[in-house]
Amino acid sequence: MSTEITQDEIDAVFPTVSTTMADALGCDVEDIKPNVSLIEGLDAESIDFLDMVFRLERAFKIKIPRGKIVENARGTLTEAEFEQKGIVTDVGMAQLRSYLSEVPAERFKSPMKVAEIPRLFTPETFCKLVVQAQRDAKTAT
Amino acid sequence: MGLPQPSGLAGRTVIVTGGSRGIGRAVVELLAHDGADVTFFYRDNAAAAQEVVAAAAAAGHAVTAKQLDIRDSAACAQAVERIADRGERIDLLVNNAGVIRDNPLAGFSDADVQDVLDTNVTGVFNMCRAVAPFMISQRGGKIVNISSVSGEKGGRGQTNYAASKGAINALTRALAVELAPRKITVNAVAPGVIDTEMSAPVREMAGDEVRARILLKRFGKPEDIAYAVWFLASDYANYVTGQVLTVDGGFKME
Repeated sequence: MSTEITQDEIDAVFPTVSTTMADALGCDVEDIKPNVSLIEGLDAESIDFLDMVFRLERAFKIKIPRGKIVENARGTLTEAEFEQKGIVTDVGMAQLRSYLSEVPAERFKSPMKVAEIPRLFTPETFCKLVVQAQRDAKTAT
Repeated sequence: MGLPQPSGLAGRTVIVTGGSRGIGRAVVELLAHDGADVTFFYRDNAAAAQEVVAAAAAAGHAVTAKQLDIRDSAACAQAVERIADRGERIDLLVNNAGVIRDNPLAGFSDADVQDVLDTNVTGVFNMCRAVAPFMISQRGGKIVNISSVSGEKGGRGQTNYAASKGAINALTRALAVELAPRKITVNAVAPGVIDTEMSAPVREMAGDEVRARILLKRFGKPEDIAYAVWFLASDYANYVTGQVLTVDGGFKME
């Protein structure tokens, strides 16, 4: 089992993540605060998410499989435990809150559709994604 | 409006699939002649590919050949990444590779159907998926798909091929919508009957009948298609997207 991602690990990747995100979103790097909502705060669209992931993969020389954030968020829960008919279950919501601990509590509305999960994502979410991918790469070698 | 500008292709990083013969070769040669840095993929015919590279080198053009089976999505992604590593850009993708297995539908083997769909459709998906992240990231690029008049009006014995090219037309329009926000254009060229190895069986079986239906009374030449691809790939076509340009000499289908 992997240990929890530390603030130091997040701080280490944040400068590159924020620059990369600013390039992808065409905004100032100062606008990329760790906990700003990418969709509601920075107007990111689905194509921007693809671009961000692609740029992060190249910047950090890592691989981030499609759907990896939701997979990471799901943790050890099975798909059926995490969601039912596209709606995140109660146990799934608890898991999501725990994984996305950087997201303010009031942004988790219930019931939440799986398709709405990206609305929660922040730059810090992507920092954790990068750290996890770096760990996975080390484990693989 | 002043004199025509250069096409903008000089120095661009270009990928052409199925570039060792026929239409693909003509496209490779024309784009390289216009100064593009062209890498083309071939599946089986290494000798033909080397001939294209040697001819280009003799003419002083930058052309590279790589073996790739476009049905393999991971291999496509890897091949595109290698090309991008050289210059961090992919400016143009020409999806030309395709196969034909004509037969009446009831006589198709599973392989007749699968080979055509895997190469002509899945292969195009694989290549588009491989280049799109680069083009999205660089906020620009062009994709030109080689379709066929069969995509709109398929002939007898061509249900598999016609279905594959109809899919390409649909993909072209949908992908144009998806990528337009990042200034990426997606178009197709739909050739009629072109004088290539691939169309030889059709021309041999029904050449006179087919020619009689072409208003210009001749089969197309690979370069007729290459010029259309060149136009869509050039800066002259910066305001053209989601289109299927038919280049068939005025082919009247029943």
